[in-house]
Amino acid sequence: MAVTDKVGAVMVVGGGISGLQSALDLADSGYKVYLVEKLPSIGGVMAQLDKTFPTNDCAMCIMAPKLVAAGRHHNIQLITNADIAIVDGQAGNFTVTVRQRAFRVDPTKCTGCGSCAQKCPVETADEYNEGSKVRKAIFVRYPQAVPLVYSIDPEKCIGCGICSEECKAKAVEYDQKEKVFEIQVGSIIVSPGFEEFNARLKPEYGYGVYKNVVTSIEFERMLSATGPYFGAVLRPSDGDIPEKIAFIQCVGSRDEHCGNEYCSSVCCMYSVKEAIIAKEHGGSIKPSIFYMDLRAFGKEFDEYYNRAKNEYGIRFVRSRIAAVSEDPKTRNLILKYTDNGEPKEEVFNLVVLAVGLTPAADAETLSRVMKFRLNDDGFCQTGVFTPVETSRPGVFVSGAFSSPKDIPMTVAEASGAAAKAGTEITSARGTLVTKKEYPKEKDVAGQEARIGVFVCHCGINIGGVVNVPEVMEYAKTLPGVVYAEQNLYTCSQDAQERIKGKVEEHKLNRVVVASCTPRTHEPLFQNTIKEAGLNAYLFEMANIRDQCSWIHMHEPKAATKKAKDLVRMAIAKSRLLEPLENLTIKVNQQALVIGGGVTGMTAAIELARQGVRVHLVEKEKELGGNLRKLHYLPSGDDPMEHVKRLEGEVRAEKNVTVHLGTTAKNIEGYVGNFKTTLSDGKEIEHGVVILAIGGQEHKPEGEYLYGKNKDVKTLLEFKEMLKKGEAKGKSYVFVQCVGSREGDHPNCSRVCCTGTMTAATKVKDKDPQADVYVLFRDIRTYGFREKYYKEAAQKGVRFVRFDDERKPVVEDKGGKLEVKVTEEDTGKQLVLRPDYLVLASGTRPQHDAEELAPMLKVPMTKEGFFLEAHMKLRPVDFATEGVYLAGLAHGPKFVDESISQALATVSRAMTVLSKTTLEAEGIVASVDESLCDGCGICVPTCEYKALEIVAHKDDPKKKMVDVNVGLCKGCGACVGACPAGALTQKGFRDEQILAMIDAALEQSKKQEVK
Amino acid sequence: MSSDVKGAHEAGEHGFEPKIIVFCCNWCSYAGADLAGVSRLQMPPYFRVIRVMCSARVDPEFVLRAFKKGADGILVAGCHPADCHYIGGNYRTRRRIALLKMLIQQFGYDPDRLRLEWISAGEGEKFQKTITEFTETINELGPSPMRGGG
Amino acid sequence: MAEASQAQWEPKIIGFLCNWCSYAGADLCGVSRYQYPTNVRAVRVMCSTRISPHLVLDILKAGADGVLLGGCHIGDCHYISGNYYTEKRVRLMKRLLEESGVEPERLRLEWVSASEGEKFSKIVTDFTEQVRKLGPSKVKKDEKLRSRVAAADDASETFRLKALVGRELNLVNKGNVYNNKLDPAELDRIIDSATEEEFERSLILELSMSKPRSVKELGEIMEVPTDKVLRHIVALRQKNMIAMEHPEGFTPTYKTIVIGGEQ
Repeated sequence: MAVTDKVGAVMVVGGGISGLQSALDLADSGYKVYLVEKLPSIGGVMAQLDKTFPTNDCAMCIMAPKLVAAGRHHNIQLITNADIAIVDGQAGNFTVTVRQRAFRVDPTKCTGCGSCAQKCPVETADEYNEGSKVRKAIFVRYPQAVPLVYSIDPEKCIGCGICSEECKAKAVEYDQKEKVFEIQVGSIIVSPGFEEFNARLKPEYGYGVYKNVVTSIEFERMLSATGPYFGAVLRPSDGDIPEKIAFIQCVGSRDEHCGNEYCSSVCCMYSVKEAIIAKEHGGSIKPSIFYMDLRAFGKEFDEYYNRAKNEYGIRFVRSRIAAVSEDPKTRNLILKYTDNGEPKEEVFNLVVLAVGLTPAADAETLSRVMKFRLNDDGFCQTGVFTPVETSRPGVFVSGAFSSPKDIPMTVAEASGAAAKAGTEITSARGTLVTKKEYPKEKDVAGQEARIGVFVCHCGINIGGVVNVPEVMEYAKTLPGVVYAEQNLYTCSQDAQERIKGKVEEHKLNRVVVASCTPRTHEPLFQNTIKEAGLNAYLFEMANIRDQCSWIHMHEPKAATKKAKDLVRMAIAKSRLLEPLENLTIKVNQQALVIGGGVTGMTAAIELARQGVRVHLVEKEKELGGNLRKLHYLPSGDDPMEHVKRLEGEVRAEKNVTVHLGTTAKNIEGYVGNFKTTLSDGKEIEHGVVILAIGGQEHKPEGEYLYGKNKDVKTLLEFKEMLKKGEAKGKSYVFVQCVGSREGDHPNCSRVCCTGTMTAATKVKDKDPQADVYVLFRDIRTYGFREKYYKEAAQKGVRFVRFDDERKPVVEDKGGKLEVKVTEEDTGKQLVLRPDYLVLASGTRPQHDAEELAPMLKVPMTKEGFFLEAHMKLRPVDFATEGVYLAGLAHGPKFVDESISQALATVSRAMTVLSKTTLEAEGIVASVDESLCDGCGICVPTCEYKALEIVAHKDDPKKKMVDVNVGLCKGCGACVGACPAGALTQKGFRDEQILAMIDAALEQSKKQEVK
Repeated sequence: MSSDVKGAHEAGEHGFEPKIIVFCCNWCSYAGADLAGVSRLQMPPYFRVIRVMCSARVDPEFVLRAFKKGADGILVAGCHPADCHYIGGNYRTRRRIALLKMLIQQFGYDPDRLRLEWISAGEGEKFQKTITEFTETINELGPSPMRGGG
Repeated sequence: MAEASQAQWEPKIIGFLCNWCSYAGADLCGVSRYQYPTNVRAVRVMCSTRISPHLVLDILKAGADGVLLGGCHIGDCHYISGNYYTEKRVRLMKRLLEESGVEPERLRLEWVSASEGEKFSKIVTDFTEQVRKLGPSKVKKDEKLRSRVAAADDASETFRLKALVGRELNLVNKGNVYNNKLDPAELDRIIDSATEEEFERSLILELSMSKPRSVKELGEIMEVPTDKVLRHIVALRQKNMIAMEHPEGFTPTYKTIVIGGEQ
């Protein structure tokens, strides 16, 4: 296909956290993005969550900035309330027909004020709160929704016409029709997420019949401060606080009766989290979790699980609940279960069903329309080496649509799919993105402040409480104000034109808008004044709606007084505003990838295909890393074949320079401008670094006679024997969690259970008569890997669960191994005499991590893996920009997961490398060299490593701090810490904030206008 | 009467209108304050919010200046410790506020006039409660020493 | 004693008669010397639609045993369509009376034209008998009933019910904003469930005004299932009308937020 045929745009289908991440990555690396969401607003399931494991981060706090960023991004077009109807064409050039349902509200006019919903007389169950609250027939899904546009629920609306009468912006359009339109894109990413398992399909648990049986997502809403009970945990039957709460795991997962044999991967952890949060809400709450295997397999998940047990006192009971019944009088619930073989009955006040993840509701439709295959369980089919690719070229997948998974893995896949989508259309990068042209900025330096003030009525939202004309008149009396006016909606399109006109007419050099919150509206007004030739930072806002009229609705006088104060404060700051420059940093468009395993090679190839020159540094003499040692993959794919294929591709890529037997000796610089010295003395300049240094299998010297008896092997060693046909015996014992989940290595190594299933099944396949035992604590074959567990069991592999307090004991009886193990459930001791003892030993970091971490100023976990910027939403980034991590260096994981992360680093890196210059934040720290004495107190306060003590510019004998604006994020922490007053934060300078303080506390005598 | 129910109007009893300065970090607490507004949660009207990017930006000088200019109470609101948009900024805030409380005590201020709260973007109700309770505290303490109180 | 007072008791009935038809009908009744009981005290209004639920409930609270509304026949309204609205509003009033525990038969709406003097006397006689059979209204004395009537009153004043009932005729007869005429039965169902909800919510606010109450307590007093009470409390908290008190034990209580303000 000719280069020109490629379309430089990507369609992302599904606006949850996955789609958001893909969209933001692509839009930041030169592609136009159409983000299509079936609901009226983006955010998906994550927007419904209260907290996220294992950090207990507030989900909305960490997600909202991404929502807003996507909503504002000039290269992202949100198409919500829409479905995909037809997909024609081929990879690189698709024509997608989109069907967008009517909002019945004009999104360009709706200001999101909510007056319509307040008056709408039709109430219905609120889906965002799983029906536990009420919403109106005209609604937004949740208060922070993006886009913040109300829409009319066609099912519920009775057409009374009240909303239209209430809407002062005249945004309601009852005759709006469904729109059908075509969009040209080069690639498509599908990320429609998942559907919660319908708990009614397990009638034995009484969901929908017993009021006090709720699903985990309903419970999540209960925990949320924006939920039905404002964060209190209450029984739906009578509003009492439940004392005893039971969590029942695997509802609709690992259950052939309901057709879902796979494990849903996330339920164990979310239940642990919900139990912890419930406990934090009320100390009297006693949660119990009933589970089969506790699958805390992710990074630092086991530590979280241990804290739940030991610090929070959450009770864990290993048992599958057969049935739940209700005491009709108390509405308490009776659980029947067996504990160590004994039947028990226990009463609980509330039961939470950990419902599994099932395929997205529109999975089949999407697969039909887009012509890609689903797997047997109805999820999107992918391959081990192609984790983000559907069966249709040019159509990529990420998130829970391809298998149940948690947020970090979803986000990594989302970036990974973005990388793949981008590679497909690299030749068209930058062809469809727009760059807005603004008039030349007026020079206002040295001018006296000429401030224009625009006070908004927001329909009746402000004007109904605050006396807006009085506030406006008051503003006119303040120093520096040369013009003031009031508007019905200052954010409306015609008001923007007015503002521009007034800037001209009155030669304004500062603009203040008193209306709603800068969080949502500042960019709009900044854009307006830029169009009027003013620097964006000459704008200030007073929040007289969200933080005044709405919260003091019954005190109009006090609210008016407060509004005047807020306006006076904004004007006081405004007088001191100065134009800020968004500094630009040059970007060297080469990449350094450290580590030549599957992760590093994947990243290098993908970068190269996107036109980036890559230096791939591998300390060994050959490429391939750990994948060379795996020999078997559970899926049946051949790892060695893949290594060879990748090696060939790397060699064929003229953009990749391979440095074998080489390490990085020194790395200096920052995003866009790194300089690395290799062990062979070569110097490389590059813009980003990808750390893919891998991990290694733990050699458990001395444990279970490893290293003492030749028949004791690690799992990888044993697989090699299997491959070579050297494993000749009749009896095999596998021991799990060797060097994982204990001592200094409290976390799970994630892959060993599945690896054991592969090896054990191979043994059985070769010799069905062989005795194979697996001694384990929890089997953690999460996701579709559950089928390998089942297969092993079906082939006769015997599983014996032991207690971590009573580990198996191995003795050498005259060269013959003897393994004694106490079965946890029965307390019976088993004596086994295997020919081979296979230790599923944990994954450990590479030692070079410790050398690289200080060079790049990146942190590590206690166990020595690299620590990413944010466990949930920035899984492959470091806080230090331009440095990324993937694969085993991040923590134990499977090949497909390493590949997803490798691709993710490419996508993240391309947000930098696709540009020749980076624009730094306008709001950054800067230093007054004459005041700085180089004390260094500020340096550790910077989480972004943007501060460095250097020789003083004027006097090299003295020291001073240097701010790297390329790294500074503008939080101002250093400024708050500086004892000399030498650091300032642009846009939030001390004088500016002090002026606001002074203005706030000014004697109010002057306030009265009359 | 519970703190929830107590109407804003009661704060102004005895003719004393407290002057309260609230520093909110841009990412969590300011958003929490906005959410209180979106949810129409009512609270006493005697506080004025100053937005900063991170609670760690709150320079001791800001607090001292506000007291000097007659503030009766100062509330610093930031992200919950694990949620900080800037990773760890708010840990520093916590230490700084503890020190400032000691300092203002030496100037004759009740340390309760300075308060630090973690308020997330989802905690509109917590913002309402904090403002209501803090206004009550300041009401009980009366005008600041700068304004002739104790 | 009780029987004695019962025997002496005479129903107190307030009649509202529209100026153009039923008041004229009553006059004709007099001119024609038709006799009827003395229990009704007639109040002249310009149109039957003038009578709001609030007025009727207030009269019952003040001690009336029955309320009679007289209007023009459908189609004859002097003000074109006033009596259509009256009909809809009376339906709401009866639903609210039912909710609050007052016999809806204490309220009657009749169409009496200027020429129907005899009909007027029959209606008054019949309605007086009907109210006599119901016995004296307990609204004034029974505190529980009083609070329920007060709640019905509050409910009738909500924007939601006013909007629904006020628009009902147009939605059914002329069509809604989408030019569809709504099925009257369907709309009645919507209004009925809104009436029940608004009544129960108003009652919760009424009961929790003076002291905080738990869901279970409210359920018992109101004779409403507790899960439903809780759902109402969720809706009321959404509107910032009731607040949770923080409990010592396992049972939170709620108190109505009384709007104060400086005015």
